[in-house]
Amino acid sequence: MAVLDLQHIRKSFGSFTAVDDVTFEVNKGEIVALLGPSGCGKTTTLRMIAGFERPDSGRIFIGGADMELRPPYERNVGLVFQDYALFPHMTVAENIAFGMKNRGTPKNEIAPRTLEVLQQVQLPGVENRRPHALSGGQQQRVALARALVTRPDIMLLDEPLSNLDAKLRLQLRREIRTILASFECTSIIVTHDQEEAMGLADRIVLMNRGRIEQIDTPARLYQSPKTLFAADFIGHANWIHGTLSKAAGDAGIVATPVGDVRVTMRQGSPEQGPVTLCIRPERLAITDGTVEPATRMQAIAESVDIVGADVRLWSRLKDGTLVQSLDKNIGRAMPQPGSEVMLGFGPDDCVVLPASDAA
Amino acid sequence: MKRPGLTASMLWPALIVILPLLFGPLLVLLHESLKPHIAGRVGGDATSALTLENYALLAGPEYAQYFLDTFRIGLISTVLALMLGYPMAHFIVRRASPIMRRILIASLIGTLFLSLIVRIYAISMTFGSLGPLAGFSRLLGIAPTSPSVAELMVVLGLLNTTMPLVALTLIGTIQNINPRLEDAALSLGAPHWKTFVQITLAMSVPGILSAGIIGYAFCISNLVVPMLVGRGFVLFVSNLIYFRFSEVANFPSGAALSIVMMVISLGIFYGLLHLVRTQWQEAGK
Repeated sequence: MAVLDLQHIRKSFGSFTAVDDVTFEVNKGEIVALLGPSGCGKTTTLRMIAGFERPDSGRIFIGGADMELRPPYERNVGLVFQDYALFPHMTVAENIAFGMKNRGTPKNEIAPRTLEVLQQVQLPGVENRRPHALSGGQQQRVALARALVTRPDIMLLDEPLSNLDAKLRLQLRREIRTILASFECTSIIVTHDQEEAMGLADRIVLMNRGRIEQIDTPARLYQSPKTLFAADFIGHANWIHGTLSKAAGDAGIVATPVGDVRVTMRQGSPEQGPVTLCIRPERLAITDGTVEPATRMQAIAESVDIVGADVRLWSRLKDGTLVQSLDKNIGRAMPQPGSEVMLGFGPDDCVVLPASDAA
Repeated sequence: MKRPGLTASMLWPALIVILPLLFGPLLVLLHESLKPHIAGRVGGDATSALTLENYALLAGPEYAQYFLDTFRIGLISTVLALMLGYPMAHFIVRRASPIMRRILIASLIGTLFLSLIVRIYAISMTFGSLGPLAGFSRLLGIAPTSPSVAELMVVLGLLNTTMPLVALTLIGTIQNINPRLEDAALSLGAPHWKTFVQITLAMSVPGILSAGIIGYAFCISNLVVPMLVGRGFVLFVSNLIYFRFSEVANFPSGAALSIVMMVISLGIFYGLLHLVRTQWQEAGK
């Protein structure tokens, strides 16, 4: 059953359309990420779900109830802010008790539940400290505890990890997932960080300029993006423009400046006409002659970047397009800059997207 | 890198001015307050032995009334200024459009540029027997010539300066409160009034006390307002000091009054400041 149901939400600020016809559902216990670049409308969507902004049109249902006339304090929604927004003039325990007091939790339950929730977020013993005496990661957990303790219908997390350093972010990402799962809490995470979205969410709602580009699981969003924007925003990609014509069965041929490319047609991809091929760097391999890929392209190696576990080779195709290929950093000899390389990929390694001037 | 030597030496120009010009006269005043007074003479008698007699006289109940009046009317004006100034500051920070905000802040600062004398005479004319609001006192059921009206005029006169002063100070206080905290409280089920009281107002307490201290300092040290609209019914300690020095030329008594007033005021301010520092140390962080 859908805990949250957004139907054709629109919101403008003056002449700027922040959110344009956004429709999606979140099921019970699901973690959904609202992902997109800044200004794409994800935060406005979150603020409308929380009740801080009213949509110009469209409807929001939480737990089946229409939220149109409900102020934020009458919606059973838990919020975790980017800067945590812990009350600095209250202790951790007072912060956590604040929501319970307002939601009518019996007085004798407040103290035990405060201690219990601090256990659950693995932060016991800080109840009498003030928020500013805690580290960023600890404040994050108190913010989670404060929102979770009232057992909200839905949790909204606004850029929950962006104020932490990279290492802590990775660790907390896992912990947040575990904590949210242990509360069986339906959650929405707003983020501009694709890694965060992919690591935390069951499904991703990808937004761009106020509109939804694609709603999919992280794996499918990466492997079969539906638009150029989706392919470009998630991960890295190489682009080759060409014209598609249909061949036998589900096979197609794309005529490109660097030669014909054999592709597999998928459901929903264009049938013919101008297209853009998206090839992920890890699918564009240097062919050493032992395997014969469906498509081979000659290129000149330009530079080699070693990025930790991976090696990225930049090379230029005959028509001048710069492409990157990613290989595991396992000690294989890489081509010298200036030398000729042969790059190859199979029909299933590229995604066929309708051409547009966006990318 | 910090250079404590240089920083400390930058204090010297100010100290060179303050030490002789502020503490010097204060010492002279203290000395004067200990001299015996001989009626008809200007200034204390320098030839006789020093005495505490001037201070002893101030312990009488007729003097206590001046001090009580000063602190009471000052407190009323300050509390009113805070009650009017806080909503104004809140509106400016949280609700006003950028243009409205600029207009309001400019007019608040503008009133402070206007001479207090001008504003006091404006009040006195407006509420005077020929002014447009001459009937105002009758609305409250008091005679226009009664001491209560004089007191009201003094309060209004003081408000004229304290209100903008307090509002401008509070703008900074409210600006420093993260609006996300109010959103957080709303999302945790607190209605608007509760959010305002438990978050916004509670976090403003140190700022309100600071603004109150500034306003109160202005009120109790005021000379012009009670002099012009107090009509003899309301006299502050400053007026009394002024009369001692100018009208009756009893310098020692005036000096003693000044010293007593200074000690009480400093006591109040340090007490309040100490309260703010110890109780609300972490607020606003």
